[in-house]
Amino acid sequence: MELELSLSPPYQKTPSIINKSFHGGDDDRCSSTVTRFPRVSWNQDEDDDNNKRFFNGEYQQDMDGDGEGLIGWPPLHSWRKRFMEENHSGGEGFNGRVDEEGENINVMNNNYNELLFVKVKMDGVGIARKIDLNAIHSYQMLTSTLIHMFHKYVENDEDGASYKLMYQHKDGHWLLAGDIPWEMFIQTVQRIQMVRK
Amino acid sequence: MDPNQKRAKAVDRVDSVDTGAASSESTRMCPFPDEVLERVLSLIGSHKDRSSVSLVCKDWYNAERWSRRHVFIGNCYSVSPEIVAARFPRIRSVTLKGKPRFSDFNLVPEDWGADVHPWLSVFSTAYPFLEELRLKRMAVSDESLEFLATNFQGFKALSLLSCDGFSTDGLKAIATNCKNLTELDVQENGIDDLGGHWLSCFPESLSSLEILNFASLNSEAPQLMELGTGTFMQELVSGPVTELKNTFSNCKHLVTLSGLWDATPLYLPVIYPACARLTFLNLSYATLRSIELANLLTHSKSLRRLWLLDTVGDKGLEAVGSCCPLLEELRVFPADPFDQEIFLGVTESGFVSVSRGCPKLRYVLYFCRQMTNAAVATIAQNCPDFTHFRLCIMNPGQPDYLTKEPMDEAFGAIVKTCTKLQRLAVSGLLTDRTFEYIGKYAKNLETLSVAFAGSSDLGMEYVLGGCPKLRKLEIRDCPFGNAALLSGLTKYESMRSLWMSACNVTMNGCRELAKEKPRLNVEVMKDEGSDDSQAHKVYVYRTVAGPRRDAPPFVLTL
Repeated sequence: MELELSLSPPYQKTPSIINKSFHGGDDDRCSSTVTRFPRVSWNQDEDDDNNKRFFNGEYQQDMDGDGEGLIGWPPLHSWRKRFMEENHSGGEGFNGRVDEEGENINVMNNNYNELLFVKVKMDGVGIARKIDLNAIHSYQMLTSTLIHMFHKYVENDEDGASYKLMYQHKDGHWLLAGDIPWEMFIQTVQRIQMVRK
Repeated sequence: MDPNQKRAKAVDRVDSVDTGAASSESTRMCPFPDEVLERVLSLIGSHKDRSSVSLVCKDWYNAERWSRRHVFIGNCYSVSPEIVAARFPRIRSVTLKGKPRFSDFNLVPEDWGADVHPWLSVFSTAYPFLEELRLKRMAVSDESLEFLATNFQGFKALSLLSCDGFSTDGLKAIATNCKNLTELDVQENGIDDLGGHWLSCFPESLSSLEILNFASLNSEAPQLMELGTGTFMQELVSGPVTELKNTFSNCKHLVTLSGLWDATPLYLPVIYPACARLTFLNLSYATLRSIELANLLTHSKSLRRLWLLDTVGDKGLEAVGSCCPLLEELRVFPADPFDQEIFLGVTESGFVSVSRGCPKLRYVLYFCRQMTNAAVATIAQNCPDFTHFRLCIMNPGQPDYLTKEPMDEAFGAIVKTCTKLQRLAVSGLLTDRTFEYIGKYAKNLETLSVAFAGSSDLGMEYVLGGCPKLRKLEIRDCPFGNAALLSGLTKYESMRSLWMSACNVTMNGCRELAKEKPRLNVEVMKDEGSDDSQAHKVYVYRTVAGPRRDAPPFVLTL
């Protein structure tokens, strides 16, 4: 599994590209950058006027060198984390799709439907994500899924109104998403970018 | 109070009463001959009881030290191997733990220490008949494993948990040289898997092996037919399930089953025949869905311990609640901890379902993305016997997702209802109130883990001012500063250790603690590029061995 970091997040000094290796050695790259900044609000729903700051404390945060966020969080044994990456990297094992009842559908072997993973990037966020477009059936669902995925970085904006969705056509140029029917869209889309208006 | 100090006093007291020679029959306090006392004391297993026994008087101290066969060292730097060897001459079994627990999560740099070799060197002369060694979070090299394999003739049992620094070459040395091996348990280690078929290094004639567990390795497809038949196999970790089909149909005695990371749904029924008597099932490497789990569980009604991945969802946990009335331990790990995919995992609802069906639950580790105070209160009511409650809401500082309140009342409910609670890990949005509850109600709490929580120094002060049995406190990313640190001055010597990282503690605060408490080691780990006055990572522990002599350059002992 690759993690590509192409834009430095505001809290990190230098961009870097990291490959995960089974035998660790990540420690060298984990420069913990100590930055003080106030906790952001987690309030993501309609109640945006309040925008309460739940957390008063200002404190240092250990930022992981490979852009995953916090070092050692969630608190999973590093051996277990490495194992899951080695053996169940995205697209091969399970894809986290959800069926009508909200149950996770896990693709155990590739006999299930084709997976259609495209990279999604959001302006200002260094971490690219992947999304399986075959699990999504409309632009509406795409937008709300992306909001959910990037909710940590979206403030005061639960419906994505301040972002526009651009996609890279297989010809290479960038277009505004939503103009062509969904079925055509998923045939041609290579990657997606959420651009601030 | 420092138990070492107390012990010294007890000995002094007795000396001052004894009028004649130290071991004169007529003036001895204890009416039993040495041999009888030793015989009686040899029946005492618990090391806590043995500590108490050793404090009674000088005779009992001596009888205890001569009769002790197993020593437990919870922090390898709290004592030196020489001191241990001098006090306990007849040890056969050692348990030794090294690095702070947060090293499991990469919070401790490599080369921090906890090297087992100095211990092995001393033991090779002091305890040549050592039979068992259990290591946790120690640095273990291949050379050390080879040393162990060749210097202890009667060696029987080796357990390596969360250790690092060795490879399969070291395991080869063990397999080749330890003629009397009954147990080899190698789990969750940072091991270099060099392949090399180390398993085949066990001699053909080895009939003594009873426990074989090597969950750290991918390359070795175990030849379990050879090892398993005829021997009581306690635990097995599998590669491809297809290879084990025959083995499973013979495994009527199987009580523990672990691994199954290649278990696709087609193959699961292969293990059904083995499931009837299973008490422990570890599926935390298998991405099962709810339906697959439910089918499996209908065959495993004797389960007491169950480890899962959250791919089973709340529906899967409902099945757990219905099928496993004897369940005592549940661990649910996240399949996708970094939100790379769209993944629901499990929620408060799954946890509540389990608590309804499994009232005997005492140990839970639960990773989730949402939780409510009400759900946790219900869970506490349903399962009042919790001894270990570890809840990880994966978004740091996340409130009750329905009420938007902090999660204070959730943990309040736990500590108020579950009076036997020994271990607690908290998460979510928490104010100082959580810690007020913990300090006030958690009378049996020994281990507390805190991350991204609290509002002020008060939080930590509440805990240090309450919790009479607290032994280990580990804190990261909380707004606790010097006042909080120093509020525990009188408490730290009764604890094994304190860890604080990414908090508001400064070097000056640490220096003051070190000055006031010379019997504590106050260690600060320096970080590159961080402010010199801040103490980024602090590790405080009681010790009779003085400051570490093997500290790397980035560890400062104040």
